[in-house]
Amino acid sequence: MAVITLPYKYLERLTRTDRKTILEKVPLIGSDVERIEEDHADVEFFPDRPDLFSPEGVARAMRGYLGIETGLPSYPVKPSGIKFTVDPQLAEIRPVLGAAVIRGVKFDDESIQSIMSLQESLHWAVGRGRSKVAIGIHDMDTVRPPFHYIASPRSRGFIPLDFTEKMTMDEILEKHPKGRDYAKIVKDFPLFPLIVDDDDHVLSFPPIINGERTRVTIDTKNILLDTTGTDKRAVSVAVNIICTAMAEAGATIESVEIGGVQTPTLAPAERIISVSECSRILGVDLTPASMAGLLRRMRFSAEPAGADKVKVLVPCYRADIMHDWDIFEDVAIAYGYDKLESQPPRTFTVGKPHPVQVNAVIAREIFTGLGYLEVMPFTLTNEEVLYKRMQRPETNGVLHVMHPISIENTVVRTELLPLLLEFLTINRHRELPQRLFTVGDVVLDCRTHQQAAGVSTHPDADFSEAYATADAVLHELSIDYTIRESADPAFIDGRRGDIMVTGKKIGVFGEIHPAVLLAFELEHSVAAFEFDLRAVPGYPAL
Amino acid sequence: MAELTQNEKRLLATLEKEQKADAEHLASVMGATKEAVVQWANLAGDKGLAGVERIVEKTFVYTDEGKAYLKNGLPETQLLRFVLPGTQLADLQKHDVFKIGFGQLRKKGLVNVEGTSVTKTPGTSTDADEAALKNPSASDPKTKDLIKRGILQESEAVRYVISATPEGRALAAQGLDLREETGTLTREQILSGAWKTANLRKYDVSKLPKKTYPGKIHPYQRIIGEMREILLEMGFTELYGDIVQQSFWNFDALFQPQDHPAREMQDTFYLNETLPLPEGYEKVKAMHISGGDTSSTGWGGIWKEEKAEQCVLRTHTTSLSIQYLAQHPNPPVKAFAVGRVYRRETIDTTHLAEFEQLEGIVMDENVTFGNLLGTLREFYNRMGFESVRFKPSFYPYTEPSLDAEVYVDGIGWIEMGGAGVFREEVTAPLGIKYPVLAWGLGVSRIAMLRLGLKDLRLLHKSDVAFLRETPSLRPTKGGI
Repeated sequence: MAVITLPYKYLERLTRTDRKTILEKVPLIGSDVERIEEDHADVEFFPDRPDLFSPEGVARAMRGYLGIETGLPSYPVKPSGIKFTVDPQLAEIRPVLGAAVIRGVKFDDESIQSIMSLQESLHWAVGRGRSKVAIGIHDMDTVRPPFHYIASPRSRGFIPLDFTEKMTMDEILEKHPKGRDYAKIVKDFPLFPLIVDDDDHVLSFPPIINGERTRVTIDTKNILLDTTGTDKRAVSVAVNIICTAMAEAGATIESVEIGGVQTPTLAPAERIISVSECSRILGVDLTPASMAGLLRRMRFSAEPAGADKVKVLVPCYRADIMHDWDIFEDVAIAYGYDKLESQPPRTFTVGKPHPVQVNAVIAREIFTGLGYLEVMPFTLTNEEVLYKRMQRPETNGVLHVMHPISIENTVVRTELLPLLLEFLTINRHRELPQRLFTVGDVVLDCRTHQQAAGVSTHPDADFSEAYATADAVLHELSIDYTIRESADPAFIDGRRGDIMVTGKKIGVFGEIHPAVLLAFELEHSVAAFEFDLRAVPGYPAL
Repeated sequence: MAELTQNEKRLLATLEKEQKADAEHLASVMGATKEAVVQWANLAGDKGLAGVERIVEKTFVYTDEGKAYLKNGLPETQLLRFVLPGTQLADLQKHDVFKIGFGQLRKKGLVNVEGTSVTKTPGTSTDADEAALKNPSASDPKTKDLIKRGILQESEAVRYVISATPEGRALAAQGLDLREETGTLTREQILSGAWKTANLRKYDVSKLPKKTYPGKIHPYQRIIGEMREILLEMGFTELYGDIVQQSFWNFDALFQPQDHPAREMQDTFYLNETLPLPEGYEKVKAMHISGGDTSSTGWGGIWKEEKAEQCVLRTHTTSLSIQYLAQHPNPPVKAFAVGRVYRRETIDTTHLAEFEQLEGIVMDENVTFGNLLGTLREFYNRMGFESVRFKPSFYPYTEPSLDAEVYVDGIGWIEMGGAGVFREEVTAPLGIKYPVLAWGLGVSRIAMLRLGLKDLRLLHKSDVAFLRETPSLRPTKGGI
């Protein structure tokens, strides 16, 4: 999520209304007001709307939504006559270049701050941490066109931003803070991307750092924007968002020639959309005229085009409009979510519980009838609890997560009983007897199924209690079982039994082995059992 | 007044005759132990019917040595018998008691030693010492001396003197029912009719019983159960499925681009395992790259099979919904799931790496975004939240999208969950022709509000005392 700082005075001037109106209505276009301060508000916008990551963009949207200025904003672009060459060796490194000339900027502290934070937000939301898109902003009057986007030897040096000494690009990756942060994007390439002017002055080492030479200051009048990356559409969106935000602030935009093509054009994209489809999706009766009116408030150009169509021009900064339904959402926002008729669907359907959950509900009922208290342990645990303390070998098919958060959460549980013993550890100081159960998911070999387990601890807990309780639960679940002597090392020899169904072991019960008790720091004997709920007749195959 | 036990009544009756007596004496009269009598007296004392006076007395007991001296006399007495005119020190040394006795004789000045001859000091005797031995008394310094010499030992004896108060006497005078009390009725007594005449013990209702704890459902499970029931009542089919999901069903089928931040390793638990892609996956691939046959542009770029094959711990139960829709592409479909989902978050009081998510979908010919709002309003109303509102939001696989907020007294508007209409990019590759309304909510948020928990971990690593104390039926007001 991007939190954007909106200074009131600047925002009011751009929006042409008062802050109260803006702050009251801004959530209705899709945002959360995080903080309201003396001179500014911090507002969070969604990642699909990077065009709202600046006060200029927010003002543009709010003017439309509030009806102050509707329809497509116009951004004339004239050619600057400036050319960019692109080194073909960049094809495998960082092939895409976008650029623009922005003239007549009038910076103050606030607007410099605003453009810098827009740049950072775009790096995050569109640029995927600069790997997909990286943006450089330069004082154009410090360099001489044409400009060259080249693949350079890594040993080439220049003075990076915020430094006074020349460094090689390899050194920058090691020593410059931005170099260290973003080294992973380029470090494996034999050559590094570099932008130089016709006198071979370095403008930038994308996506890492600009040169100190072209630093933008409060006195900067003309800007050269470079945007490099791996994805054409994303690069173009970033260029469009920055150029239109600067244009909103009063600058004029000029295109540059890259590979014989003038860019950017800041031209809208056309879509012909269906009014009836939109009405059907939203549940609102719309006409081409009413829909066009709503869309103009969302800063689209929209004209009725026949009985069921609206011709829409989508502003070039709207990165999120991929599909007609994306425009339908704007219709809904302009219409107002609070005005939509909210009725549940009329279709008759019958509720149907899932058989696994039905079984679980009945199992819980049986356990509570036997005086057992339900607990709901985590499903992520570790080998120490599941196997080592239990004196059991690791279960076949246990899943290890690749990047655990901590040594506590390394595997998905394959059994429930160890987690109940861990629960007794947590509650050692609580009154006895304690009888606990859990019914829930375990995972073996990527497949999930349900198990049930119970423990009883008090000074007289023994084999007979475990047997009697397991028998009661199994009987109530209609599990037709037999018992054979068990070899489960978690239990005491001669006080343990395997629960068998049609020749297959489905569970175990008995008196927990004293060494296991001590491993769990328990002092009283524990009667315990666990079994696989797939043994319940009719358990569905998933 | 609280009921008297049978034993208290017997005591009062006995005291009517005895007035005031030692517990020991009363015990022998009543055929009970001294301790029991004192206990009954204290119980009657609590009701103002009896008085118990605790008297501590010092007594002296003889050591084995002392017992021998009591019979034979103190060593100095014994030795003194041999001191006759002309007795030599050497004569006395022959006697067993010489060592102790002679020292005492010298110390007490009972003999004079001149050279080797020993004579009695005229006008002295050990009579007073012998008297002290026979009748020790705390006030006699000679008794202290005997204690020091290890002949006597001091011990404290506690005596209880029990009497009836005027109220107690008055009660006894009215006559007490002294028939034997019956505690638990026996089968014999019930069948024989003996219960009609039995003196059934009356219990003191002002005394709290010993706590007993029922087996019960976890309070969090109850909340999950309540939501389940509401959705079943609303005509939804319940889904249940695997915790481990292929990235394809967890992300790709939901049109989440392969380079989306949520798919990165720091947000999702990946597993080493892979599963083969389902038949027809190419349609999903085409949708990602170019938008397939819809009005979508797709994400562009590349789409890798290997990325889609990799298994993850499901990050949402939407992976179940989408597979269910793929299997049931014909309307109407109304389905829900409540299940554990996983996010690679650092665990603290308000964030867990695993938590329950409730997820619902509606697919039908003519369902609308408005119907989604209506379904959510109905659900939250049934959960007890009377005021519900909606605002625009963003989710990668829904369009339009919304967030639902409910109003909670004393807190304000609380965000409860997200919802939207599945994008056509999600539904089209699966052959679904009608809109799919989908919503999700974090169950633990409601649980935290309702149970007043400050730490979410307590839902899963619970204190048994918390589980025992939380009632099964917790009345809610305004949803919490």
